[in-house]
This record gives sequence, structure tokens and C-alpha cells, in this order.
Amino acid sequence: MRKLMLGNEAVARGAWEARVAFGSGYPGTPSTEILEALAVYPDVKVQWAPNEKVGYEVAVGAGLAGVRALVTMKHVGLNVAADPFFSSSYMGVNGGLVVVSADDPGMASSQDEQDNRSMAKAAKVLMVEPYDAEEARWMTREAFALSEAFDSPVLMRMTTRVCHHTGVVHPAERAEFTPKGFVKDIPKFVLLPNHARARRVKIEERLQKALAFSEQSDLWNPIRKGSSDIGIVTSGVSYGYVLETMPEASVLKLGITNPLPMERIRAFAKTVKKLVVVEELEPYIEEAIRAAGIQVHGKDILPDTGELNLPLVEKALLGHVRDKVTAHPGDVKIPVRPPTLCPGCSHRGIFTLFRDMKLRVMGDIGCYTLGALKPLAAMDACMCMGASVGMAQGLEKFGGPKEKGKTIGVIGDSTFFHSGLTGLVDMIVNRSQATLVILDNRWTAMTGGQPHPGTGKDIHGEDAPQLNVAEVCRALGVKRVREVDPYNLEATRKILEEELAAPEVSVVVAVAPCLLGARIPKGEPVEINLETCNRCGACIRVGCMAIHEKDGFPDVDPDLCGGCGVCEQVCEPGAISLPAGK
Amino acid sequence: MDITNILFAGVGGQGILTSSRVLALAAVHAGLDVKMSEVHGMAQRGGNVDTHVRIGKEVPSSLIPEGAAHFLVSFEKLEALRYMHYLRPEGVAFVCPTEIHPLALNLRKDESYVKDIDKVLETSAPKLVWVDATEMAKEAGDLRMVNVILLGALSTRLPMGPEDWEAAIRERFSAKVQEACLASFKRGIQYVSAPV
Ligand SMILES: Cc1ncc(C[n+]2csc(CCOP(=O)(O)OP(=O)(O)O)c2C)c(N)n1
Repeated sequence: MRKLMLGNEAVARGAWEARVAFGSGYPGTPSTEILEALAVYPDVKVQWAPNEKVGYEVAVGAGLAGVRALVTMKHVGLNVAADPFFSSSYMGVNGGLVVVSADDPGMASSQDEQDNRSMAKAAKVLMVEPYDAEEARWMTREAFALSEAFDSPVLMRMTTRVCHHTGVVHPAERAEFTPKGFVKDIPKFVLLPNHARARRVKIEERLQKALAFSEQSDLWNPIRKGSSDIGIVTSGVSYGYVLETMPEASVLKLGITNPLPMERIRAFAKTVKKLVVVEELEPYIEEAIRAAGIQVHGKDILPDTGELNLPLVEKALLGHVRDKVTAHPGDVKIPVRPPTLCPGCSHRGIFTLFRDMKLRVMGDIGCYTLGALKPLAAMDACMCMGASVGMAQGLEKFGGPKEKGKTIGVIGDSTFFHSGLTGLVDMIVNRSQATLVILDNRWTAMTGGQPHPGTGKDIHGEDAPQLNVAEVCRALGVKRVREVDPYNLEATRKILEEELAAPEVSVVVAVAPCLLGARIPKGEPVEINLETCNRCGACIRVGCMAIHEKDGFPDVDPDLCGGCGVCEQVCEPGAISLPAGK
Repeated sequence: MDITNILFAGVGGQGILTSSRVLALAAVHAGLDVKMSEVHGMAQRGGNVDTHVRIGKEVPSSLIPEGAAHFLVSFEKLEALRYMHYLRPEGVAFVCPTEIHPLALNLRKDESYVKDIDKVLETSAPKLVWVDATEMAKEAGDLRMVNVILLGALSTRLPMGPEDWEAAIRERFSAKVQEACLASFKRGIQYVSAPV
């Protein structure tokens, strides 16, 4: 059977074939579709966790119960889950545990470009790397067996182009697997220091066993015999570029990249005149080969930042690029088209206020990070999920009178449940006077509208227990918690001013559902009276796709505008009118 | 390696992913190998998007290099221009004459769109075919048909047979819209076969 699948869908298929009983994780591009696809299969329990660490720990618990478990996240998610990831390595597994790390070379949707192959090495767990959708299927399936055979969690390291490419997959029958039940084993599973010291030795033993397997495995680490002039060692997506650039070369393709089968590499190197490593990002394989005393090329001819592609590999291996001549528009300046908040988005109005009130905004990650772009440009820092809360406290405490009464943290609701809660606890107990604005749009919008603890839905769209953001903040001990309607600019502004002035921690919760997540149909558009318009441009500066310049005047696109009313409220001459009945 | 490269370009939300998926499905039905690279996440929020589809007997990688696309299918004029350098000089561009203005930053006129864009496009790709899919979709009474109309036009230059396309369309679309999609797909074929 041949079926077209997204790389991520193929992972789900492979996991289902392996009779995985449990799938967990937290959304994050490019990993999100794995769990969404797995949720469609029967006989699997699939759930979103509030963050990667929790998702990982629930999967470990499932594994302890003797079933197979899959946990998925983007590369930075593994930082959040790093604590259980490193420690679970010491415990080993009962039922197989596979963790997918979806890395993002080129940072198409991420704040950093870390290469998580080094995480597998540091945690001393097995690592596998598929190159396309079909490999994603069978490697996921087999990774569970590896996990159990070598008593290790297995890190499946993918990258954007593997996750988000679609290719032909050959689905297979489901494998046999009988859940084992819980096995009591205190020295193995209770990581007291003296137990952990014993486990430390076991880890090295298991890596040696895995290495012996990897050294002789033609399935995982196949060699393609070709010309003896050049031998290429590669893994993951780079393999495709190598095949296309030099179909005649000898290639050692590594499917298991921790532990690295160095004797296999050494033997392969002996059969060729020149050895080259083609890998994306860090010289992970190359450095290991060099440390083993083998001469090798790699990052001397290939970049160590960003994605690889065919021309880069052609240039490195052939010395020239094949397709040089292109159709070309000449030297026309093409206006950029950056992503923007959707027309009608509940984040737009409040960011207009942040800008106009000249606030110091410690931002966070989500759709609202787009509030940092022109013409809003109303965010002063954004680092990683949950960080707005801590950064706001720090800046307010040490920014002097200039930042006093002006500093806010702004965080989305999914991000708040992910890792903002503990930051807020710290604000309370350490007497911060900063204000935290929580954008409660009920969905994890940025990654395509997944539910979170505040949504009241599970991954299947079924009703689920729902946490209320404002109530949670009050229960933690915040005295000043106010809810606002972010479409009402005047009222929101007033409350922001009051809370900024208050000499204690306050939380402002802006409640309005994401239009896409909640599937709210588009409303009627606003109208502009060009007679009264004074061309001040305030409506343009709310940064909405539905309103643009035409002959020097603002013009509304009725197909896009749903009449949210933000531009109407910033229009001083009152030239913009809401649709009737609003 | 004998690989045909098709690049789709447009603005997030225009249906580019659906088009490329139908094309890839048609290739599978025709017994070909296919790899396609798509965009999810941040890039979809109203920004420019592109998907790469590569079909052939064996397709090792999914990204089309600049200057290697045999076909460029653009749902929007500015995006046709932005991705033009992916096209081979002798490649064919199917462009829907839709204009979606990027986010304006002020009320000044000069920087909003490229002047004389039609001419610029025609000179940069001598084999450019205008396909007013938006107009045809309006006539058909469903704006979502733009993607199948453009596919119909493209299909006239690809090795897959009518039955492969039909199977792909039936696989991708719900029973409710299948017939409408097939009709619009044929409309796209007719349009480039016998331009009015
Ligand atoms: C550790 C980590 N996990 C996941 C992501 C991917 N990610 C970016 S923003 C976001 C959540 C956005 O949801 P929310 O805070 O509710 O804001 P919204 O997009 O709905 O405005 C996610 C999951 C990430 N950047 N870092």
C-alpha cells in the first residue's frame, strides 16, 4: 500500500503500528501534528499536557505501567522537559518510551536554532533520525523496540523539513506487543544518590550494548556502495540532498546517531579516498569522527547555521551550483509581507493601548508576539515561554523611577498555564509591583488552535474540565485581579492605568476568544466616511490587514473586515462607523 | 534524476496547501514518487507562503532550488514576483491576477505595491499564463474553487492522467463539494486549452 503522509502523520502511524497506548506532549511547530494525527487512531489515549515537562512525566508514568508511550515537542520544549529527560535516562524504561524532538534549523517558527542531537548525547539516551516520511514511520515503530531492548528512552530527532514534508509511506500491519504491567524495582526507579550511582554504571553498559547493535545494523546504518573517490557520512534530511547531488558517491547513512557507530565509520572511511560529513547545524558527527582520529571534511565546506538545501550541498560537493540561471524580475523592490495578527484579533486593541500608553512591555511567545512588529511595535523583550513574568518583575524592581508604574508582563493563556504560574507565584511572594496582563483567548492560537487547560476541550474536541485564569490567579494569592474586554479600549485603558498605579502585584485578564479557535463567523465590516476622514492614519496604525491605503485615504476590505471596532475607537474625527447593531 | 518541480506561492490562507496536496495525491495515483514541503506555524499568519512539490520516478529531497522550478503557480501577483527566481528561465508561470496588499504602515502611497506589476511579471517570465481563477470561481459561485481551477490549468502540462486527478480530488474533498471541485478543475483545463 502507498499512502501520502506528512512526516508528522507518519510518526503517528508508526507509533500506532507499534501499539503505543499513550501519546502526550505540548504543541510547538514543527511537532504539533504528530499528536493530532495520533488522536485519530483507535485504542490510543492521547492528550495535550500543559507543558513539555508534565507531558514527559506522564509518559514516563505510563511507561512504568508497562505500556508504550510517545511524547512529542519542539526542540525548545525539550529544554522544558530536560529535567525528567536526563533523569529518566537513569531509570531506563519498562514499556518503551520514545520522545520526539522537532528541531527547527533556519528558525522558521522558533526563537532559537539549537541542535538537540547534543541533548541525546548529554543525557546518554539512544537517538534515531529519520530522513523522510516513510523512515519516520518505520523508525518510530522500531524505536519502541530499541527502547525496550536497551532499557533507554529513545530520542527521535526530527527537523522542520522532515516533519513538514509530505511523501509516500508504506503502512504496515501492527506489531505484536503485550503490556507488561508495573514491575516493582526500587533501586532502578527511585533515584536516590546511591541508587543513581549504580544506575550510572548501567547507563554505560547499555550504551555499549546499543553501540554493538548499531555497529552491525545494515537496517539502521546502511551503506550505499559507490565510487571510492568520495565517501559521505550523513543523517536526517541531508541524506536526500546527498543522493541528489552525488548519486554515484559512497554513502553511509546514519539512522542511529547516538551512540555513533565509530568502527563502522572507520571501516567505511578506509574504502574511500576522501571522507565528508554532510549534516545540518552543529558538526555533531564530524567532531566525533575527528576525535576518533579520522580525517574528515564537513563544516569547512558547509555552513553550520541555518538549513541545508540542494544548492549548498552541490556547492560543497561539486564546487558549483547546478541551476544558476533563474527567471528574474530585475531590480524591483518587492514589499515584504510579514505575518500579522488576523483581522478582528482580540490582541490588536490591547497592543494599540500598550503603544499609545508608552508602556514597557516584557512580552512572551504566541500570536501576540506579532505585537512587536510595526506599526504596533509595542513589545520590548521576548525570550522564551513564561519568561515575561519574571522579566517584568526584574525590570520593574531595578528600572528605577523611569520604569515604575509603566512595566507590564504580557502573556497568552496557554503560555500562562505552560510556565507563567510559577513566575506569578514569585511576583506575589517577592512583593513585585509590576502588572501582569494575561491574554485569555481560550486557545493555543499560534500553533493552530490547540486546546489548553483554560479551553474546556480535549484534543478530540470533547468537553473537558476548564480552569478559569482569573480564579487561578486569585487562588494563588493575587489581591488585584481584573477582567477586561479587550475590544473595549477605553475601559481597558482605565483599568490598566489603575493597576499600574497600584503599589502591589496586579493581574489584568483580557478575555475574548480567538476567532479561529472558537470558529466565530466574520461579522459585518466597518464603513469609512471619506468626507470626515482627516487622514491622520491612526486606523492604519492599528496594523490590520483589512484596512489599507487607497489614493491617500484609508480603505476597508469588506471581505476581511469583521467590524471588531478597534479602528473605530482610535478614529478621532469619528469617520469610521460600526456596522448597524454593534 | 528526472524530477518535475512545481512551486506554489501565495498568501497564508489562500488554499495553497490544499492545492499542493491534491497535486501530490494525483502523482501517487499515477504511481509516481513525490515529495512536498509545506509551511505551518508562524508563517501562516497572513504572511507569504510557498509549498514545493517535486514529482518523478524517485524523489530524494523536498525543496526546490532557486532556478529549478518547471512551474510556478501563484495565487497572487506580488507573490508571483517574490518567488519568480525559483523558476527556470524557460519555466511556465500560472498566475492568478489577484492583488492582496501587504499590511500598510502609513497613508503614504508609494510603497504599497509594485508599479506596473503585470508588465514586470510578463517580462521576467516569458511563458507566463494569466489564469483569472478568482473571477471563474466567482462565476461558479464559490471562491474556494480558486485552487482547483489553478490546478486544472497546471494539469495540462503534467504527466498525470484525468483519472489520477479525479481520484485525487475525490480523496481530498468531502462528498459535498467533490462535483463542484471537479467541474471547476475542468474549467481550469478548458481555460488554458482554449483561451477566450
Ligand atoms: C517551550 C516551548 N514550547 C512550545 C512552543 C511553541 N509555542 C509558541 S507560542 C505557544 C503558545 C501560544 O499560545 P498562547 O500563549 O495562548 O497565545 P496565543 O497564540 O493564543 O495568542 C506555543 C505552544 C515554544 N515556543 N516553546
